[in-house]
Amino acid sequence: MNKPTIFLTTEFEERIRDIPSPDEMNIPLKGHIPRIERKEKVLQGARIAEHPESYAGDIHASLSGKVKNITPASISIKTDTENLQTEPVDISGIDPGKELISALKSLGVDTNNLVKAKTLIINGFNPEPGISVYDHLLRDHQETLERGLELVRKFISPTSTILAVPGRSTAHLAGCMTFHIKTFYPNSLNRVVVKSVTGFDKPENVAIISIPQLYFIGKIVETGLPLTETIITIGKVNYRVKIGTPIRVILEYAGISVQPGDRVVLGGPFRGNAVYSLDQGVDKDAYGILVVPKDMFSPVTDAPCLNCGECVLKCPSRIMPNIISRMAEFGLFEKTIKYGIESCLECGLCTYFCTARRPVLQYIRLAKDELAAQESNKR
Amino acid sequence: MASQIKKPFISEPVLTVSTAPHWHCGRSVSGLMMETIIALSPAVLMAIMHFGLEAARVVALSCVVAVVTEAICLKITGRDVSIDDYSSLLTGLLFAFLLPASAPWWLVIVGISLSIILGRILFGGPGASPLCAPLVAWAVCKISWKYFMDIDLSILNTEYLYPLSQLKLYGSEAASGFNYLDLFLGKQLGGLGAVQVSGVLLGGIYLIVRKHIRPHIPLAFLAGVFITASIYFFIDDTRYANPFFHLLTGSVIFGAFFLATDSASSPVGHIPMIFFGLIGGIFVIIIRVYSVYPDGVPFAILLANLLTPILDKIRPKPFKTK
Repeated sequence: MNKPTIFLTTEFEERIRDIPSPDEMNIPLKGHIPRIERKEKVLQGARIAEHPESYAGDIHASLSGKVKNITPASISIKTDTENLQTEPVDISGIDPGKELISALKSLGVDTNNLVKAKTLIINGFNPEPGISVYDHLLRDHQETLERGLELVRKFISPTSTILAVPGRSTAHLAGCMTFHIKTFYPNSLNRVVVKSVTGFDKPENVAIISIPQLYFIGKIVETGLPLTETIITIGKVNYRVKIGTPIRVILEYAGISVQPGDRVVLGGPFRGNAVYSLDQGVDKDAYGILVVPKDMFSPVTDAPCLNCGECVLKCPSRIMPNIISRMAEFGLFEKTIKYGIESCLECGLCTYFCTARRPVLQYIRLAKDELAAQESNKR
Repeated sequence: MASQIKKPFISEPVLTVSTAPHWHCGRSVSGLMMETIIALSPAVLMAIMHFGLEAARVVALSCVVAVVTEAICLKITGRDVSIDDYSSLLTGLLFAFLLPASAPWWLVIVGISLSIILGRILFGGPGASPLCAPLVAWAVCKISWKYFMDIDLSILNTEYLYPLSQLKLYGSEAASGFNYLDLFLGKQLGGLGAVQVSGVLLGGIYLIVRKHIRPHIPLAFLAGVFITASIYFFIDDTRYANPFFHLLTGSVIFGAFFLATDSASSPVGHIPMIFFGLIGGIFVIIIRVYSVYPDGVPFAILLANLLTPILDKIRPKPFKTK
């Protein structure tokens, strides 16, 4: 697998490969409420769950089949070979406004960033080291991206559109100014990109959108079908997978074997989640799968902080993870507020560079959770 | 009897889970300490070359006692005996570098034990000590056993002189008698390792190239020494020594690269590190000019250590998220 690096460009194979449809899929729910019953038959593209928040996109069956099981975490569907699809929806005729927003939401798009703004920034960075999806889409799928951008512009109606790309990249997008940023993680994080482009931490009238969001909106405009697939990087290859495809199926197809004790990460090496079972399905925001062999790194320890200061110097939020993690370690959660814990972007660089191998980000998250719990107890 | 084996609760294969990030840069405490020891090894060899087996005796004794003391202390305090991370070995080596080659055996043992106990264990181990551990013990020994810590006592064993006490006793006239190349090659008296200027400088550059220390503190420290010494030199070059003389004598180079950069007792930000180095460097010359101690470096760094918590308050505003 890939060598640890914070460099954001990765070589990738020429073509996006398709992962064959699995026999059974586990479509993950992230706070979504199931809208189907067990044993119900569903068509490909049928809505199976929706989110209580009005901006979060609905979830659809990515293949036709029969619902096998529903848990709070996922909906399992036994797929059939009929491959029946729902009718496409033509959204090109709908005027931008609430109606179009709800049409997009019902097609699976998260719409929280589609609000009016003067400046639209397109984040053209691969989100994390070892991931090449964004580069690949930007290089090979310009037309779809442009179609997506056209629709997005209707909502945001920006006076300027800026495409933020890595330092030497020649990537471009029609009608966008190109802005170059150094090619190191965490410069790919949305907040850091906004800061680099505008010079402000939290400027007003700025919207930011990612390449996959543009791509999938463009896809929806082209096909009229809901969002049922995602593109993920494994090693040097990008794969197109149906949402809910079990990780086991994907890794088998990619020819990667997993040994007991390995870590399998859904997402990237810095912000991804380690899965507990290979039967877990990929979600729509997934952009990579990473297998970290058991003995690749020494384990994290509760060793004392050396105060070497690497975390402080690498932190994009300009806080002191060394002090905050020590306070969280000893339960002094309120004191972390004074050190700006709320500014943490959770990029993970503090833990990546920690010489003592302390779980710095975990301590920060613990403190954040404890503070949130205290806050909700007060109310 | 396969049918009797229960289906495991967790699916196969059993995976490790952890929070992000899932990669690590690969650095470790033992790696950092080992590389620092490697960086010091040229100076150790030079010290043995110049001072003979006396130097080897002090270094070996200091290192052994450091590790043993640390192990005993950790055992007594009920902590993990983590002597395999080489950090106590490094403390032993750093302390030995400050001693004269003629230091008696009991002084070495008492000194390094104090360094481990007062400098490291009492404050909670590496990363927690507010003062550079070897310097704490050096200061105790220097004040308690002035006679045995006196560098000039090594004169009998070697052909070299202690340039800083020559400067103190006989003025800048005496200082100008030293050849800078000889000083650079370590042909002078002082802390047995600290005065191996070229060896220590080589080690320091190695640490910076390997990115184990940042260049801020060493460069600012040297700049502080040089600028302050230059000011005095320009005021009256008959009374005060040449700034290059100050850079090449005593523990200036050693202090800049190995003592001032001690991670626990130095600040962490870019600007605080530069201030810390400059303040340390300025103190060196002030102590050398006005105090009874010929070499100001250890006390200067200890004083700068005390300012670390204040310097660490110089911080940029955290990322605005609300």
